[in-house]
Amino acid sequence: MDPSQVQSAEFAQFLAQEEQRAKVGEMVIKITNVCWDKCITSTPGSKFSSSESSCLSNCARRYMDMSLLIVKRVQNMQ
Amino acid sequence: MDSFSSSPSSGSNSQFQSEQLKNQLKAQLAQAYIEQFMETISTKCFDKCITKPGSSMSGSESSCISRCVDRYIEATGIITSTLFSSPH
Repeated sequence: MDPSQVQSAEFAQFLAQEEQRAKVGEMVIKITNVCWDKCITSTPGSKFSSSESSCLSNCARRYMDMSLLIVKRVQNMQ
Repeated sequence: MDSFSSSPSSGSNSQFQSEQLKNQLKAQLAQAYIEQFMETISTKCFDKCITKPGSSMSGSESSCISRCVDRYIEATGIITSTLFSSPH
């Protein structure tokens, strides 16, 4: 096989992988942003209370649930 | 040994360039991620800690900022591990 062809296929794979990584990173930033507002209502202390940390976990899971629901809902409209 | 002697010099050179490009791209993506993260932390902690901007930063404001940054990083960790551990 042509070596440049191998390289470009490998490079495309690298790009796809990095794109995926960047999307995951963006998602974490986004969810932390909205869940911080929902869950951390008082001035930040020296550690999270147990209700704050469980709120953050629940909030992240519900955000994912919601995203799925929205995708389904919008798909049904088409 | 055979693979070394048979590999053409131009091939290994372009491979080197491709590795350089990959590393450059990774570094730029990491840089963009950090900038986005810092930007969010600044917005959040300014809202929480600098409620009434005075003529200078007070001690309580700066200690609030320190705690806020620590907690925001912790919150990012909690959310990351929640999203990538088993569902429910």
